[in-house]
Amino acid sequence: MVATKKPAFWGFLFITPWLIGFLLFTLGPMISSLYLSLTKYDLHSKRFVGMENYRRLAFEDPLFWQSLRVTVTYALFAVPLGIAGSLLIAVLLNQQVRGQRVFRTLFYLPSLVPTVASALVWSWMFNKDSGILNSALGLFGIPPVGWLFDQKVTLWSFVLMSLWGVGGGRMVIFLAGLQGIPEGYAEAARLDGAGPWKTFRHITLPLLSPVIFFNLILGIIGSFQVFTQAYVMTNGGPNNASLFYALYLFRNAFEYFKIGKASAMAWVLFVILLGLTLVQFKGAKKWVYYEAGS
Amino acid sequence: MQSSATHLRWELSAHRSFPRRTPFSSKIPSVRRATAVSLLLLAFGLTGCGKDEFADKTKLRYMAWGNPEQLALEQEMCEDFNRQNPDIHVSFVRVPASAYKNKMVVMFASRTSADVVRVDHYNFPQLVKKDYFYDMTSLAEKDPTFKSSDFFPQCIEEETVNGRMYGMNVLFGGILVYYNKTMLKDAGLEDPYELSQKGQWTWDRYREYAIKMTKFGPNGKPLKFGTQSPGMPVNLIPIWAFGGDLMTPDFKHSRLGDPNTIRAIQFLHDLPWKDHCSPNPAEAANGAFTFESGKLGMSFDFMGVSPTYRKKVKDFEWDVCPVPSGPHGGVSLVKGNQLVIYRETEHPQEAWRFVRFMTSVGTEQKLYGRLLRCFPTRRAVAYSKEYLHTDQAPHHMDSFVSTVEHGRPLPITSRWDEQLTLVTSAMEEINHVPDPDIPAILKRTQSKIDKMLGEEEGW
Repeated sequence: MVATKKPAFWGFLFITPWLIGFLLFTLGPMISSLYLSLTKYDLHSKRFVGMENYRRLAFEDPLFWQSLRVTVTYALFAVPLGIAGSLLIAVLLNQQVRGQRVFRTLFYLPSLVPTVASALVWSWMFNKDSGILNSALGLFGIPPVGWLFDQKVTLWSFVLMSLWGVGGGRMVIFLAGLQGIPEGYAEAARLDGAGPWKTFRHITLPLLSPVIFFNLILGIIGSFQVFTQAYVMTNGGPNNASLFYALYLFRNAFEYFKIGKASAMAWVLFVILLGLTLVQFKGAKKWVYYEAGS
Repeated sequence: MQSSATHLRWELSAHRSFPRRTPFSSKIPSVRRATAVSLLLLAFGLTGCGKDEFADKTKLRYMAWGNPEQLALEQEMCEDFNRQNPDIHVSFVRVPASAYKNKMVVMFASRTSADVVRVDHYNFPQLVKKDYFYDMTSLAEKDPTFKSSDFFPQCIEEETVNGRMYGMNVLFGGILVYYNKTMLKDAGLEDPYELSQKGQWTWDRYREYAIKMTKFGPNGKPLKFGTQSPGMPVNLIPIWAFGGDLMTPDFKHSRLGDPNTIRAIQFLHDLPWKDHCSPNPAEAANGAFTFESGKLGMSFDFMGVSPTYRKKVKDFEWDVCPVPSGPHGGVSLVKGNQLVIYRETEHPQEAWRFVRFMTSVGTEQKLYGRLLRCFPTRRAVAYSKEYLHTDQAPHHMDSFVSTVEHGRPLPITSRWDEQLTLVTSAMEEINHVPDPDIPAILKRTQSKIDKMLGEEEGW
């Protein structure tokens, strides 16, 4: 009996640091923020108010809805574009060409740049007068665009900027997925007369669907947490056109010290993401193919 | 489904990574040895930590932020204080500016705050309302050396809430006009300081100067701008000059929709979009037109920026003058930082001695008289020869004095951050386009601010 218990004891002992960290820095704060979301708390006085923070968010705070609108719009465009871009690059980098490793390194490099630094670089690129984007548009006679100063354009600038990360971790995951597809399938398809597009559409994509699904879930979660670039480049402006949800949450928590409201926002975000993930899992049955299950 | 070959590879690699080892129990002696050594080292460490060279002194912590020069000066001040007060030891806690507010508030809320803290006035009303600061009134009343008349009344006003004193001002100063004398000469314009002395330095004159100093290249692109239209809160200066305001005197309502406020905002909007003598937000992005680059003729800024210009500007002459006046006078904005004592400090008397030291004549002479940083809070230092007469720019130091003498503290409440967010949105809506409906935007924002101020704080 002692002998069988011993490995479990050592196992738990070894994961104790992680367990303590999880309880103290993840589960503990989550439970605490759930409680705080039911209070009116400004870091000084605390009062239990039940669901009042949630009611006020829903019915009395237009900026809450604005931040949600901005974030959902961003997610709707940035996530599919990002996934398509990463997949395209992964497919290209999976080709057996000379200098393949150099290309892989070059495409991965931008994702190593810290978000603050890349935000600063992009704010230069978006400069209306001297930015590289407007200079390029000028070559085709297109007038300069106020990328970060026109409230109708700003959000799309962030979508464009999100493509900066297409060569990062997501592309690596796609690349690994592509390399995991046995060559025999494509070869059989080619023998049956399928061209490259048909092979990609009917062989590669279905076999890659678990990876696409994984990236989709992570992409949606990531797009709801956009903060740094908006904080650095526009601080939510102009006129709240780039007020992302996480930025508005941060403002409430750390600028206005409305900790109860910010906690409620965090839980709303959690529920939204949980709901979206569950919907995706449900929908995944129709388009995600697991070899083990087929 | 993985192929059997893949499985085999995984298994092999797994065995390579985690080879079979001897049972864990056989390793115990070495674990014991390692534990014993660790405990021994810890014991040595603890013994070393236990020695407190300031055990016989009252220990205080002072927390502040700033650029390296500022922090070095404050460190020097702490050391001076420690030398002069052998019964107290002040340790200086430096926090990066970007994290300062969050750290400070969390330390206050978690009751781990430093004994003396430097607080930016933007945050002062918000934090004083949360009862984090020691009421210094009785300390000041019992101190025979403290006389409020030694200080500029604006300093006292800023640190006093409902008749009680919760801080003492440091790094005080006001907004004035920094101007590029070389650009002025090139445009054949009279020195604005001279105009201000004659009472002729008005907002109309300022606009005329800005237009004349602006230069465009052959391709129509701006090379130099005459000025930069100021944003909140500096734009309060023209708003006041035109008779408008941000708030009603009781701080209960906004006055953004006031016709005079609208006039002032329209005036500022015209500078980039109608007169083309100030960069619009897109042109000003990425610091394209800064005063120190020599591409800006006139700039509104705090007195504390002088050392930076002194250090950076090498290619042109510059100086300062008071802000222009308008139909309702020419009042500038003044603001400082406050040294506050944490409400739950165990050593309020000693903390008060430190605060008094940091605002003493000697310290102010050193900080402001010798190094010409910001502005002294003490009249005696501000009117001293050492402060007023200098052989380096800016030469019109009397402009500093007159700006503070006639300055007005920032009209802010504990809800400044929320209000500023609403005002900033409105200003973006106005400043980013050539033809906004300014009255409609300002009136709409006024309603939003009034609604916000009418609600209980903290929701």
